[in-house]
Amino acid sequence: MLHTKNKKLVLLISVMLLILSTVLLGCTSESVEQEEADASSETSESTNMITFSWPRDIGEMNPHVYNPSQMFAQSMIYEPLVSYQDGGELEPHLAESWDISEDGKEYVFNLRQGVKFSDGSSFNAGIVKKNFDTILDNRERHSWLGFVPLIDQTEVVDEYTFKFTLTEPYYPTIQELANVRPVRFLGEAGFPENEDTSKGVEQPIGTGPWVLEEHKVDQYATFKRNENYWGELPSVERIKVNVIPDAETRVLAFEKGELDLIYGEGVINIDAFNQLKSTGSYESSISEPVATRILVMNTNREMLSDIQVRQALHYGFNKEAIVEGGTSGLEEEADRILSTNFPYASNVDATTVDYDVNKAEQLLDDAGWKLPEGKDIREKDGKPLEIELMYNSAESIQKTMAEALQSEWAKIGVKLNIDGVELPTQVERFNKNEFDMNFYSTSGAPYDPHYFVNIVATEGFGFVEAISSYPNKDELLSQIAAVQQSTDENERQELYTSILGSLQEQGAIVPISYIKQIAIYQKGVSNFTFPANRDEHPFTGISIEE
Amino acid sequence: MGVYILKRIMTIIPIFLIATLLTFGMIHLSPVDPAEAYLAAANIQPTEELLEQTRQEFGLDKPLLVQYINSVMKISQFDFGVSYVTNKPVWEEVSSRMPATIQLTVGSLIIAILASIPLGFLAGIKKNSGIDHFSRFLSFFGASIPSFWFGYLLIFFFSVKLDLFPVEGIGTWKHLVLPAITLALPLIALYTRLLRASVLESLEEPYVLFARTRGIHEKKIMGKHVLRIAISPMITGLGMNLGKLMTGAIIVEAVFSWPGFGRYFIEAVFNRDVPVIQCYVLLAAGLFLISNLIVDLIQMYIDPRISRKGRQFQ
Repeated sequence: MLHTKNKKLVLLISVMLLILSTVLLGCTSESVEQEEADASSETSESTNMITFSWPRDIGEMNPHVYNPSQMFAQSMIYEPLVSYQDGGELEPHLAESWDISEDGKEYVFNLRQGVKFSDGSSFNAGIVKKNFDTILDNRERHSWLGFVPLIDQTEVVDEYTFKFTLTEPYYPTIQELANVRPVRFLGEAGFPENEDTSKGVEQPIGTGPWVLEEHKVDQYATFKRNENYWGELPSVERIKVNVIPDAETRVLAFEKGELDLIYGEGVINIDAFNQLKSTGSYESSISEPVATRILVMNTNREMLSDIQVRQALHYGFNKEAIVEGGTSGLEEEADRILSTNFPYASNVDATTVDYDVNKAEQLLDDAGWKLPEGKDIREKDGKPLEIELMYNSAESIQKTMAEALQSEWAKIGVKLNIDGVELPTQVERFNKNEFDMNFYSTSGAPYDPHYFVNIVATEGFGFVEAISSYPNKDELLSQIAAVQQSTDENERQELYTSILGSLQEQGAIVPISYIKQIAIYQKGVSNFTFPANRDEHPFTGISIEE
Repeated sequence: MGVYILKRIMTIIPIFLIATLLTFGMIHLSPVDPAEAYLAAANIQPTEELLEQTRQEFGLDKPLLVQYINSVMKISQFDFGVSYVTNKPVWEEVSSRMPATIQLTVGSLIIAILASIPLGFLAGIKKNSGIDHFSRFLSFFGASIPSFWFGYLLIFFFSVKLDLFPVEGIGTWKHLVLPAITLALPLIALYTRLLRASVLESLEEPYVLFARTRGIHEKKIMGKHVLRIAISPMITGLGMNLGKLMTGAIIVEAVFSWPGFGRYFIEAVFNRDVPVIQCYVLLAAGLFLISNLIVDLIQMYIDPRISRKGRQFQ
């Protein structure tokens, strides 16, 4: 009897041990920290605080790294030399002014005096050089930014004058300095021992209006106002970022009042946005165009190499209806590759292509694609007019638009096969020129127009191959090369007018719609403005009733 | 007894090795080139030269067998490599998110047990009564409603309308209630039916009749004998589902913004973060093995006939 009881005891103990070990496997010191953090967050709850949500954790607050760090958060802490404002105006920020040498190679910046980092250390040419140097240590990683590979040397001229020299002139340098990353400035105490920030920073110390106060990975982050900020002090004391990955949950949390603000691109379903707006209980706004959704036709494919076919396709769909239906009225029908609020883009000639089925059919007939009797699909030399459109299957707007195009083009005798793929596959196939048609979004503010034309001209991004049937391709490429090196403003404008006009006229790059950001906020929130730079935080000037 | 447990633990090792072999094979068969995925995650335009360099860095240029042995050696020391996206050790990232997932899983398991044992048992001994009908309704409801939808419904009624619980986040027990119920519902549906069927079956067994003829009190027959035998298939089911719960918490974690490792894994899939995916698959395999072992031991404890039977064949 005792024997069996013993056996049972052994069994029981081993079961308990196993269960415990499974549970303890993950319970590290983390859980203790969590409790402490919970206690402190309750006490720090203040009324003058804006709570908003973001789909992902803010990531590491290091100004010199990319994903998964979130740009809006990086821009709250770290500031640029130059800031990108409405209409593409480049305004002084940490640099009060700058001089560019005649040959376009030397850049001298007069830094703002009296700027302090959030730890009290001062901002000067020395720390600017230190940041530049660690960025240049990882040149490869930042080479997507045109001016980084061209930097020859960096120099401290005096305490508040910083200078760098390029190996060749590159006009977009100033505009690229406005980007959220990587050229923003970390304070001395933030640097790790080996001075290489690519592997991490000691502390997130910047000059910006906000300081990271608390960060619980995948839960929330709170930012406190930087009381020593050199510019206008924010009226809100704290910003809390709740990480809510699910769009529906975000809407529910907002309705319940757990959130003061929802902001961004694609952060909530457009129908939910319209529904919240229609209740009249909240304030909402929609931004200026921040980028353009375009359709790229691969002229490397025989059918699409004919400009008449491309134009026919352009005439053959009702853009207005597709944009309205696909985006529930959020996005705006686009006639230009870059909307007029982008630098150098306002003078570009863009002929509006009005929906005209008869014209489309006429163009296809003229191109030799005839509709055989008793068939629905046009043919030429026995080959049917069948095209494939690739789209990102995770993006509902692309999917809806692809389906709409399929039914529109069927009416003019074109068979469109739509192929939904994952984003990495979409990018990969586009870069390798393995597509007939593809959806693409321009990078938008503050990257365009130079980033877009640069991508069009660079091998390995898909465009240069896609426009290979353009009769003026060589001229275009040499113009794009010339525009980057131009030192004369008028010449530059002329080149852009010609490049953008021609890209559009040839019809392989079809503008569809302008992408916009949305914001919806509780009645107590006021002075909300969208940042002109789509990656920046939207909290400048914002206030909330206490 | 101790020998038996040791033997059971020993059998885990070859099974786990097979699991590593399968994951390794899957990753190498998939069209994703880890070197390319790494460069894409690091925001670097891949060139042939860079790809070659990256492959050397990760040892991807070595023969497959060497790569496999290396990876097994590392895994046995809980070294799952470094995430392509965050550049931090995968195990560190996963284990820091584990407490949240475990909290959610254990919470929902407790709810599932507390709800389904009384419900299934009563439905079984009182066939066709009101409680039986209710359990049937709950089972159909629980088995057919998608968990994300049920989650939204709970948030809408109990959080937005009645303001009883927070919509999202983690921290207090109040945060745990809605996600744990959401995760537990399909289990409740399943186990209530399972237990009911098994109770009905047990009631037909001769030992119930003998017990009654011996004049043992009905309550004692039901509680001490019928339930004890009938609960056995349910425990097996629980064991099979413990691993599933952990890995299946992904949707619930997303809906309730629960900071567990399911969400981390989803992002890894989108980013093609190969080391994280590998770690997750192996973790799931490990969980299934351990939970099955636990279940076997509990079974032996409850129904000693099982181990006796086992010994007959030795």
